[in-house]
Amino acid sequence: MIEIKNKKGKQYWKSLNELADTPQFNTFLQEEFPGGTDELPSAISRKKFLSLMGASMALAGLAGCRRPVEKILPYVAAPENIIPGIPNYYATSIPFGVNALGVVVESHEGRPTKIEGNEKHSSSLGKADAFTQASILNLYDPDRAQIPALNGNESTWDAFSEDWAKLKEQYSQNKGKGLIVISNSFNSPSLLRTKKLFSKTFPKAQWIVYDAVNDENIYNGLHIATGKKYQPVYHFDKADVVLSLDADFMQLESNSVSNTIGFSSKRRVDNENDSMNRLYAVESSLSVTGSMADHRLRIQNSQIPSFIATLANELRKLGNNIISSSNLKGFGHYKENKQFLKVLAKDLTKAKGKSLIVAGRNQSAEIHALVFAINESLKNNNKTVSYYSTDEMVLSNKNNLFHAVSKMKNNEYSTCVILGANPVYDAVNLDFKNALTKVKHTIFLGSHADETAQAVNWHLPESHVLESWGDTRSFDGTYSIIQPLIAPLFDTKSMGEFVSILLGNDDTYHDFTKKTFKTFNASNSGSKWRKALHDGVLSGSSYKSKKTKLKASRLAQNLKTYSANFDEEAIEITLLPSNSTFDGSYSNNGWMMESSDPITKVTWENVAQISLSTAKKLGIANEEIITINNGINSISIPAWIMPGHADNSITLTMGYGRNMNGRIADSAGANILPIFSFSATSISNASITGTGTIVNIASTQDHHGMDLERLAKDAIQERLPDIVRESSLDDYQSNPDFAKQYAEKTIEKDGKLPSMWERHKYDTGYQWGMAIDLNVCNGCNACSIACQSENNIPVVGKEEVEKGREMSWIRIDRYFKGDDIDNPEIALQPVGCQHCEMAPCEAVCPVAATTHDDEGLNTMVYNRCIGTRYCANNCPYKVRRFNFHNYTKDMPEVVQMAQNPDVTVRFRGVMEKCTYCVQRIKKAEITAKNDNVELNDGDVIAACQQTCPSEAIVFGNINDPNSKVSKLKEQNKNYLLLGELNLGTRTSYLAKLRNPHPELNS
Amino acid sequence: MKKNIPQRSPEEALAVSAPAVETEVLITGGQSFKTVTDKISSIVEGKTPQAWYLGFGLAVSVLMILLGSVGFLIWEGTGIWGLNNPVGWGWAIVNFVFWVGIGHAGTLISAVLFLFRQQWRTSINRFAEAMTIFAVICALLFPGIHVGRIWMAYYMFPLPNQMAMWPNFRSPLLWDVFAVSIYFTVSLLFWYVGLIPDLATLRDRAKTRTRKIVLGLFSLGWRGSNRHWQHYELAYLMLAGLATPLVLSVHSVVSTDFATSLVPGWHTTIFPPYFVAGAVFSGFAMVTTLAIPARKFFGLKDFITNNHFDKMAKIMLVTGSMVGYAYSMEFFIAWYSGNIYEAFAFVNRAFGPYAWAYWTMISCNVIVPQLFWSQKLRTNTKVLFVASIFINIGMWFERFVITATSLSRDFLPANWDYFSPTFWDIITFIGSFGLFFTFFLLFLRFLPMISIAEVKGVLPQADPHNYHSEGK
Repeated sequence: MIEIKNKKGKQYWKSLNELADTPQFNTFLQEEFPGGTDELPSAISRKKFLSLMGASMALAGLAGCRRPVEKILPYVAAPENIIPGIPNYYATSIPFGVNALGVVVESHEGRPTKIEGNEKHSSSLGKADAFTQASILNLYDPDRAQIPALNGNESTWDAFSEDWAKLKEQYSQNKGKGLIVISNSFNSPSLLRTKKLFSKTFPKAQWIVYDAVNDENIYNGLHIATGKKYQPVYHFDKADVVLSLDADFMQLESNSVSNTIGFSSKRRVDNENDSMNRLYAVESSLSVTGSMADHRLRIQNSQIPSFIATLANELRKLGNNIISSSNLKGFGHYKENKQFLKVLAKDLTKAKGKSLIVAGRNQSAEIHALVFAINESLKNNNKTVSYYSTDEMVLSNKNNLFHAVSKMKNNEYSTCVILGANPVYDAVNLDFKNALTKVKHTIFLGSHADETAQAVNWHLPESHVLESWGDTRSFDGTYSIIQPLIAPLFDTKSMGEFVSILLGNDDTYHDFTKKTFKTFNASNSGSKWRKALHDGVLSGSSYKSKKTKLKASRLAQNLKTYSANFDEEAIEITLLPSNSTFDGSYSNNGWMMESSDPITKVTWENVAQISLSTAKKLGIANEEIITINNGINSISIPAWIMPGHADNSITLTMGYGRNMNGRIADSAGANILPIFSFSATSISNASITGTGTIVNIASTQDHHGMDLERLAKDAIQERLPDIVRESSLDDYQSNPDFAKQYAEKTIEKDGKLPSMWERHKYDTGYQWGMAIDLNVCNGCNACSIACQSENNIPVVGKEEVEKGREMSWIRIDRYFKGDDIDNPEIALQPVGCQHCEMAPCEAVCPVAATTHDDEGLNTMVYNRCIGTRYCANNCPYKVRRFNFHNYTKDMPEVVQMAQNPDVTVRFRGVMEKCTYCVQRIKKAEITAKNDNVELNDGDVIAACQQTCPSEAIVFGNINDPNSKVSKLKEQNKNYLLLGELNLGTRTSYLAKLRNPHPELNS
Repeated sequence: MKKNIPQRSPEEALAVSAPAVETEVLITGGQSFKTVTDKISSIVEGKTPQAWYLGFGLAVSVLMILLGSVGFLIWEGTGIWGLNNPVGWGWAIVNFVFWVGIGHAGTLISAVLFLFRQQWRTSINRFAEAMTIFAVICALLFPGIHVGRIWMAYYMFPLPNQMAMWPNFRSPLLWDVFAVSIYFTVSLLFWYVGLIPDLATLRDRAKTRTRKIVLGLFSLGWRGSNRHWQHYELAYLMLAGLATPLVLSVHSVVSTDFATSLVPGWHTTIFPPYFVAGAVFSGFAMVTTLAIPARKFFGLKDFITNNHFDKMAKIMLVTGSMVGYAYSMEFFIAWYSGNIYEAFAFVNRAFGPYAWAYWTMISCNVIVPQLFWSQKLRTNTKVLFVASIFINIGMWFERFVITATSLSRDFLPANWDYFSPTFWDIITFIGSFGLFFTFFLLFLRFLPMISIAEVKGVLPQADPHNYHSEGK
């Protein structure tokens, strides 16, 4: 017998509320009915209520609750290649800044419904993130601008063309003087060609490119170090030791999908002889990446310069050839955590050529330059990180916009054309709106009647990427064609088309793109085009990575003059894009808005993340509205105390507080941009005051912040080591069976828990099961959004989430771990239906609406369900979701187009839950049966599994000993959640491992 | 000196032999057969009191609130209640168990006490049975409306259908359907059979044609003949026999809704007996709550004496203690089991966010009945009335504590949430009292609230030895 190590020593708690013993909470808990007993769902007005009451008195309300009858019409002339009911799949590409994600889109009768990653594309490798998954809903956004508008009045493209023709004539004569174009960055050969054509036609016109969230610092840093702007592409799959400096490379930084794939491939551990990477994270706010760290140091963002300089010094001591410390004086000196730095330096050096330092985009160019230099000295460059040319990229340059705006204010421009960007919102600190009033003609191509649209003369509606032709290159140069999945739903044009109109180019944008394609595929372009369209990538189009060279003297010169501002006592306020809305591009996307933030678990709004001690220092309570004043502008936002957040630091996220005529965006959160200066993502001179107003935050965990009593905290501590089983790599090697040594072990006989009767064997045919590797899951939410898209899961709204009625079929439970609220470790656990063989839900349903099938699926028969909710009560995992209201009742017709026709849209009053994507299983089985073959492993892929960039979720036939899932379940780390209940769950978990450095105890 | 003593069957002779040894007086005021008939019938036959109209108007108004809230519920869905993801059952199920529990007293009084020859039951059994039936009607309302798709609720019944689908006989909710509907049917029958002789009495006294016809129809041609009485008594005895196991079964079955689940705090073998004890406890409390004002209003002090209240209070003391014992055993077993989830469920009840509800329950159900150790308090109707209301509140909270606290914090802490009722939860519950009192007030007005025939049976005059013993 292997001695069981005491694994229960680790302290757990579920949220800060257990640890924070604020008086507000105590009084709150003593209230009998928190939240007010008289609240009506906001949708019910008094008038509606009275009329309903009148009707129900007469018992007239009893009828008419059934769903409306809809008629289905057949095709009169059937289109080619479409078999009704059988979806087609097309490859296309979705640009994301200067990167792009190759995707494959499922199309039902010409209607795109689901986006998946494209295996052939280097940024995607078949995987996608939550944003990409959710962009299908952006296509069907009912609040999209649908027709051109002139000064807010409906107009037509013809009218615009007439108007433009006059302007064009004028600018043709003066070569574009006084004409300015503002767009976001892009990396598209065709758009680049249009841009060049534009410059040719209007040589004196200005084309300004900027992104609210951009990687300028990275490019500038590399420019300092090498004299050239490069695009770094990280190879986490080759890195044993990773240091992240304020870089959320698995979520918010560029190329996160590919980063996650690489990172998890090095993280995954199959058996006790396997190795595993080690991640050090140094950051101010707890990020998705930070939550995966083996060692995490929470320091203010402004301390990172001193940290990296001190680290450089440590590395130099170990014999690494790094720029001398005299050149790094301006970075400051980091005095704390000496042991951390020492060990880190040692670890990085030891893993020379296999280590990697990544700095986040919020860090200054000098930091990136220094990071490059360190990576160079550690021989990591061109091994764990490659550098690619940025020549074809049209990069963001915020400075240009800054200067352009001052020129605008000086009346130097007579026409301003804004392409897709939203400067009135995200350049609010330049007072862009005011500058715009100084321009005579303002033209805006944009998808929504947003802040910018409201400030211009002409608002032309922009197409969604799934409605457009075009092309993209990804970071490594991989070329993809954007092909439309559907004709524009509204009277819209893509950016490429629009610029063509401006130029008077007669080519359709399809032809234009094709011509671009020809320019670098001179021979045989027709068949290559078809193949590139089919594959989604042009094979061989990726660049060779550039052999970079550090220009040491140039670097020294630049770093010498750098001076980091750091004031330990000043409270720094940092701006980050949101995990839900990013920079605001997903503000009106219900799925994203309702997805709970991986770390804070907050939905439907942004919060000011702050550490407990700083909150105490400032006298701020959790969920208290605070005002932040930078001397000019002031914002109000609720505080959200985050364990693991750096002290004297507040993190705010953008993408909220919109005024974009969006039914979802406009009511959600606060616009925090006004307090930041345009060029900086951090300020430190603001005053922060609490208002005393406590609000209810719609968070999907810790509803009502009730779990702060000692009692609950202790209970969680007691049970969590069993729920999320984990160990360190070292302990795992000495005790490989650690995951099996919990409650059920004590009562197992012959390796099995005793049963009162002989159970059904489930040993024939396909037996479906799932394994979730907690070691690689980073909680990024991609699975959750993929599930929402695949399974038509409704958006319920903020009030319903506050009530605890979110509908996600797969949720990610987040637990804080460790006995120190300031330095917690995080345990994440995706939980969907576990498909118990002895399902407790099935026994209690009085109408047999949930039953087991012979493939081990716990099925849910919506037609039979009467909604007693008994099954949900009896589910120990609480994965069942109930349609308390008719959540799809007011769904606009255009949003209905996003629904997957293979999955029933549930009516109010029925229960729903994860089905293991039964529609995909059945489709594969039917196809296999028709072909008279057996299903192979990988023929059925669940939606969550398909998109998961970490490949944490594996699904398949557990009756096949050679399937991937069976192999995973064979691992000694495999365990069943609440296994002692002996429910025979089909989903199992692989225990989490951490890989702390033996010399660091944290 | 011989009097005409009606012939009786052996069983009946046996039944009435008890009073011979019973020394206590059950009916006071020197009632004769005639005064009993007159007094009780007069309530039904006399002019409707103003106060009745007032009470009835109020009850109907509250009933309208119920209809309105149920109508809105059907229109909008169960989302109008405070339910959420971990707490799938809220006030509707609490109210269901509460009303079913109240419905227990009636059958217990009429059937079990009948079989045990507790003659004192005669004064309150009609009343209690009526209360039972109305309480069960209220109870039946809630499982009906709490489902998500009310219009499909008939799936619960084993009806032949095109899908050839049976309901799931493993589900305790289905057992509920059978248990409660059987209970309702038998209670109704029992009540009606008991009413027949009295209906006939009223028919015979009826002055209007309508009354004659209606009462004539419902009294099924009862003439009070010896044969009638023989058959009647036998039928009554058999129904009592049938109803007795139901007293135990109904609430046992209701308790299996919780006990057969695996939710910590529900998954407890103690539930069936504990629920039955609690049901009797709450039923007697409700009878007391209703009887005290009714007795006063209708001047029935001679029929429902302090002696009756004394006995009912004793039953409440016993059942209250049983309930208290169950509470402490739950705690003990939770600790003794060594199961961390189970242990937490109970500690959480007492000291978690619902501690206020738990201690309300303990105060009302365990501490308040301790008053009844004193006979003085047992026979003080004011004390009794207030105490019985507290017990009703306590028993409602018992069900709330069981339902809500267990669900709100079960296995995985990430799911934990708090349940708070909404406006609609509250008015639906209040509205159910409207339904109850509407029926109850109609009953008080139109049917004899005390069994005329049975009360006569416990008068001293009914004892064949009555006149001998007094030497007349």
